[in-house]
Formats: sequence, C-alpha cells, structure tokens
Amino acid sequence: MTAAARRATPLLGLALLAAWIWGITQLLHTSVPSGLHLPHLRASDYFTPAQLHRARNYERFVRIDYVLSLVALLLALIGYALRGNRFTRESAAGRVGTGLLLGMLGLGIVWLAQLPFGVAELWWERRHGISHQGYVSWILDSFFGLGGTFLAICFVIAIVMGFAGLLGNRWWIPGVPALVGVGVLLAFISPFLIPSVHPLHNARLLADARGLEQVEKLPSVPVKVQEVHTFTTAPNAESVGLGPTRRVILWDTLLGFPRREVRVVIAHELGHLKHEHIWKGLGWQAVFLLPIAFLIALATRRRGGLYVPEAVPLALLVFVVLQLASSPLQNAVSSRMEAEADWTALGATRDPAAATALFKRLSTTSLADPSPPGWWQGLTGDHPSIMRRIEMSRAWEVGGR
Amino acid sequence: MYEHPVQLTNEAGLERSRLTVFFRLLLAIPHFVWFSFWTIGVFFVAIFNWFATLFRGRSPVFCHNFLTAYVRYTTHISAYVSLTANPFPDFVGRPGSYPVDLQLPDAPDMQNRWKTGFRLILGLPAFILDAAFVGGSRSGYSNSGGVLWTNAFLAWWACLFTGRMPEGLRDLNLYALRYSAQTHAYALLVTDRYPNADPFVAPTPGSAPYHPVRLTTADDDMTRSRLTVFFRLLLVIPHFVWLILWSIPAYLCAIVGWFAALFTGHLPDWAHRFLSRFVRYYTHLNAFFLIAANPFPGFTGAPGTYPIDLEIDARALQNRWKTGFRIILMIPALAVASTVGGVAFLGAFLGWFAALFTGRMPRNLRQSQVFSLRYSGQFYAYLLLLTDRYPFASPAPPSAASSAP
Repeated sequence: MTAAARRATPLLGLALLAAWIWGITQLLHTSVPSGLHLPHLRASDYFTPAQLHRARNYERFVRIDYVLSLVALLLALIGYALRGNRFTRESAAGRVGTGLLLGMLGLGIVWLAQLPFGVAELWWERRHGISHQGYVSWILDSFFGLGGTFLAICFVIAIVMGFAGLLGNRWWIPGVPALVGVGVLLAFISPFLIPSVHPLHNARLLADARGLEQVEKLPSVPVKVQEVHTFTTAPNAESVGLGPTRRVILWDTLLGFPRREVRVVIAHELGHLKHEHIWKGLGWQAVFLLPIAFLIALATRRRGGLYVPEAVPLALLVFVVLQLASSPLQNAVSSRMEAEADWTALGATRDPAAATALFKRLSTTSLADPSPPGWWQGLTGDHPSIMRRIEMSRAWEVGGR
Repeated sequence: MYEHPVQLTNEAGLERSRLTVFFRLLLAIPHFVWFSFWTIGVFFVAIFNWFATLFRGRSPVFCHNFLTAYVRYTTHISAYVSLTANPFPDFVGRPGSYPVDLQLPDAPDMQNRWKTGFRLILGLPAFILDAAFVGGSRSGYSNSGGVLWTNAFLAWWACLFTGRMPEGLRDLNLYALRYSAQTHAYALLVTDRYPNADPFVAPTPGSAPYHPVRLTTADDDMTRSRLTVFFRLLLVIPHFVWLILWSIPAYLCAIVGWFAALFTGHLPDWAHRFLSRFVRYYTHLNAFFLIAANPFPGFTGAPGTYPIDLEIDARALQNRWKTGFRIILMIPALAVASTVGGVAFLGAFLGWFAALFTGRMPRNLRQSQVFSLRYSGQFYAYLLLLTDRYPFASPAPPSAASSAP
C-alpha cells in the first residue's frame, strides 16, 4: 500500500461512517407523531379466554420449533464452517465457481438440517387448520424453492468474490453498493416473480382502492389477488415493486373479510407505497449490510479472505450469526415502518373500529398471540404485535385524528 | 472382459434391398401376428417358469428353450423391422439362422432365488432404460420413439435412397438390440445377470472413423459425493442461467459464422474459438448434470479443466454445400441426439438413486452417458459449424488405425 493510500484509508472510513450515520437519521423519519401516547390495553378485553388460550398454545409450539430449528441451523453451519472446505475437492470450477458450489452446498446443508422442523411446523399448522398443504408437496415446493435461493447466493458470492479478486479484503466497500443494486433490481422485478396472481375483480373494493389512492395522494396502483387458498387459510397482503412496477397484492384468503376491513388492509399497503417503504427497506438493507460485510471480511481474513473459496463456509456462518444478532434491530425498523403504514391507513380510512376488528380477525385466523413475549417479538416480530396495533387504533380514535 | 451370458452377434452387412426396405413394415405383418400369439404363450410359460425357478433354483429345460427361442426371435424381427439386417427372418428363432443373432445359455443355469423372487422389481430400472432404447420413452430430454425406432425411421429414408444402411445407425441399433435382448432374457429368467448398458464392452463391427470432435475421459473410480448428487438438480441452476445467457451470443456468432463460412469456406478463427468453448462448456455441464462426472464444472469451457472433455480440432476448410444446408442436414442428427440424450437422462435418473445410496455411479450407466455426450458434442459442433463432419452414431471407439488424416 502506498503512503497516499495509507493516508486515504482512515479518511475513507470516516466518510463511510458519516454517510452511514446520516443514512440512519434520514431513514428513521416517520409520520407517526413522536409524542403519540399509546394507551395500555389488555388482550383479555378484546379476545375471549378461549381465543387467547388457543393462540398462545399454538404459538408455544411454534416458538419451541423455531428455537430448535435455529439451534440446528447454527450447528449445521458451525459443522460446515469447520469441515466444508473438503468440498473444494468436488469442484473443477476455479476460484469463483468453487465459491459458488460451497455457498450452494452450505444452503443445501442448512435446508436438510431445518427440514424436520419445517415438517413439524407444517404438521402443527395442518392440525390447527391453518395449512392444507400435503407433506410431500410442501417438501417438493421447499426443495425447488431452494433453487431460487441457490441462484441468489450465486449472485452474491460472484459479486463478493469478484471484488475480492480485485480489492482483496476491501471487497465490501464496492460490494455493499453492488449487492444493494441487485436488491433494487430484485425489488423492481419482484411483482413478476409472484405466482398465481390475477387482477382484483371486486368492483367495490376497486372503487375503495381508487378512493384511498386519492386520499393518500398516490397515482393509480394496480391491486392484484394471489391465489393461496389451496395451501393456507392465513390472510396476508403486501405492497411490492418500484416505480412503474408498484402494486398491491392481496391474498385471496383475505377477500372473505368484511369490506371495511379489507379497505383498511388496502390503505395500509398503499401507506407503504406512499412513504416509499420499499426504497427505505433497501436503504436499511444497506445500513445493516455495511457493518455485516465489514465483519465478514474481518472474520474470514485468517482463511485468506473471500478471495479464496475455502472462506465461504465461514462467511456463511458469520453472516447468519450477525443476521441473527441484528434481527431485533432489523425487526424494530420493520415494525416502525409497519406502524407508519397503520397510522396512514387510519388517517385514510378514518375507521379505527374497522382497523381494530381487522387486527382481531388477523389474530384469530392466523392464531397469532396478540401480546407475545418480548424476546419473541424482538427475534421474529417484523410487525408490531396485535395489541400494539389495536392500541394505535385506539390512540388515533382518542386523539390522533 | 465382456462376460454377459447374452451376447449379440452380427454378420449383417450394410447393403439393403430398396424394395424390401420400402415395404418393410408391411412385410413384417405376418411376423407381428405370429409374435403376438407367441407372446401370449410366453406370458403363461413365464409365470410357470418363475414358480419353478423359485422352487428348484433352475428353469425347467423346456421352459428355458421356449423362452430363449422367444428372446432370439424378438431380436430377429426387431433387427429386420429396424433395418439392422436385411433378410426376412424365420418364425422359430433358430440359433444361427439370422445375421443379427444372439448367443444365449444353452442350458438353464442355477439362479439366485432372491433375485428370482424379486425379478420384476429388480428389473424395473432395466425396463425403464429398455423403453428408452427400444421405444415409448418419455424422458425429460425427449418424447421419442426410442433409439431403435427413431433410427429405423431415419434409416428407412437412407436405405431407400442409397441402398445402404448408414454404418453409425446400424451400430447404434446393435447396441440397442443387445440391451433389449439382455433385458428380455433377464425378465424371462433366461439368466440372472443384469443387463449391461455399457456401449463399449461389446465388440462393434468396425471402428469409428477419425472425427475432428472427440470426447476424452479421465480415469473415474465412479465415486460420487452424495451431497452434490442429492442437490445436483439445484446445483446446475446457475449453470443453466449462464448457459442461456451464453447461448444468445453463441447462436448469433454461429449465424455470422454461417455467412462467413458460406463465402470463404472457413469459420472465422475467433468464431471457432468462441464456439468451441461454448460446445465444450455444454459438454462439461451436461456431464455434471447427468452424474457422468463428479466435480462441479467451471463456467468457461476451458480445455483440459474437466474429467469429461471435448477435443476439437483447429478450424478447417468446409464444404459450402454442407454449410448452406446445415440447418436441414442436421435434422436426422438432432433426432438421434434426442434419443441417445433420452437414454442418458434416464441413466442419470436411475444413477441418482444408485449414487445417493452407494456413493458410486454404476459404470455401465455412466458409459452410456459418455457415449451420449460424445454424440451430442459432435452434433453441436456440426450445428454450430465447428466442423462439417457429420456426427457418428456408432458406439465404436476410435481405433488406432483411425487416426487423424
């Protein structure tokens, strides 16, 4: 390294740090009033004891299964980080190609390790009538779905190892923007990758959607329906796409809900689009990816860095551990955006009673615990808990309007 | 050493009578009728023979003779209808009565009772592969009439116009007939030796002439990594994406090269290098996908980087007529490539289970895939104008005499 480069390194680091902090401050902005006081409401006032018991009993198993699956995941990855190098013998593909193979095999091993827990969860969902999917069909779907994951990891590893070939251990500096760029591309094309989608035909709901777009000052956004009722009863919706590909997707399991409640769902999804949450999500991806990539580069240095394929198994382990460690923060960020979409929906529909009814129905149909333990919410809760969402409706009703 | 008790012998030349070729299917009608009656008889004899062999460990002599005659007769009429041989066969399946004949055990041998008891289940992989050889194959690569009948259809035209059976197709038919005869013999308890799909173990009448596109294989102990075998279908996904991306410039390059070769008689050197890499890469990828080779292939098609590789000669002068009509001329080769590809694909399907449980790819399946890879390599080289030499369908290995001209 030349003297000039040595002098430039700390400056570059400082600039990156400043940009990172500035990015966080920009992304943290929310339209939910900062002084909003959420009333403390008791779940027992909104749900019957039987409903609460059923939801908590259901989630107890899900939590145990999740924790065990996590342990299996970590054990598999630790084993792979220690012994995965031997799979380099199975490759004639050169440096990057071997890296791709090791990345894919790592995910394959993870899939195998988590398969029993996935099957157990499916059994539990079938037992509670949430899923109708057969075991063989689920395993095959999961196996072939892994193909898409393989493709994704190949993109990531090709980018990372490509930059590592040029810049050594500083691959993460151009690598993170490149990966975010891939994320932008995927977000742009994602509406076209969702299967079994057709336009919404319900004229009343379409009229509701047009009205809500006007209230939320949005251009016309297509509302589509995804057919999922053949394998689940759980309701869901999402807003996807960027710019011209933006659209709202409603699961067909949601269409049986009362119209007022579906209206809240549409308003919520339009709220995501209004506040550019997909762009913000990509921004947060960059924020989290930057330190994670830096730490991966640091951790794999002793194995030769990501220039050599032998470092890929360790990099996978480090990535998963850091993802897990940062999941409470990531979930907090996601919940913040969901709360903003809820708040926007309340403002657009001016119907807190429908919102409250919707949240109650979401809980009873998905058997979601309305007030789960904090650790669980932190680890997996990318939405506010059902009670928090009801509390927000109440707060809007009382004084937010 | 080729030790299978069921061997195919060939004395047939390549000359064919145009008249009998033209009416071949109609001429065979009396045989089809007789064959149907015989098959009904075989059904009952085979059941009786199964019980008898299960209890005695050996087929009764009259059953053995009846069934061997049936297997031989089946081979005779298949050879006749598929134009592998010219003379009209007799109706009794006498040994030595037909140019394409079988050597079968003269007397019933002792057979393993377990293998006898579960013969239909054990034979299932062989029956599946036999369907791809003889007909009715609906594999992932093709929906074809099988190697034998596709070849027969192609050969019918060739024989009609030239009065000769193309040597490559004849040899390929012999390979298919041999496998089919071994499968029939196994199913009917003539032998308990499993059919052997290796095309290279049996002597073929000739040796392959020199071809500018040759397949080379490194020593392979057939060991396979169970993990990469299990995920093989998914591991090739990035390669398939890459292949699709690469095939766009490759086919554009071939179109440009077609005009160049038409006017100058040569494919431009840069196009030859680019397309050679592409065809080689395709061969590497196919070998990995089919479990014919173990390592994950590279993405560049560089020579000498993979255990199953293609050697492609430097560019040479090409016949302009052949270049001009390449897209039409390649159609028969495409049909053959599709059927042998179907056999290779089924071999991969069956080999997947074998490799997953034993950690090894059965050698005979792998060898059948090697043959398919050689043919498909020559086919794509022909299609993409790397050579004007037609793909050679015979499984015969190149002999020492058939060296470069």
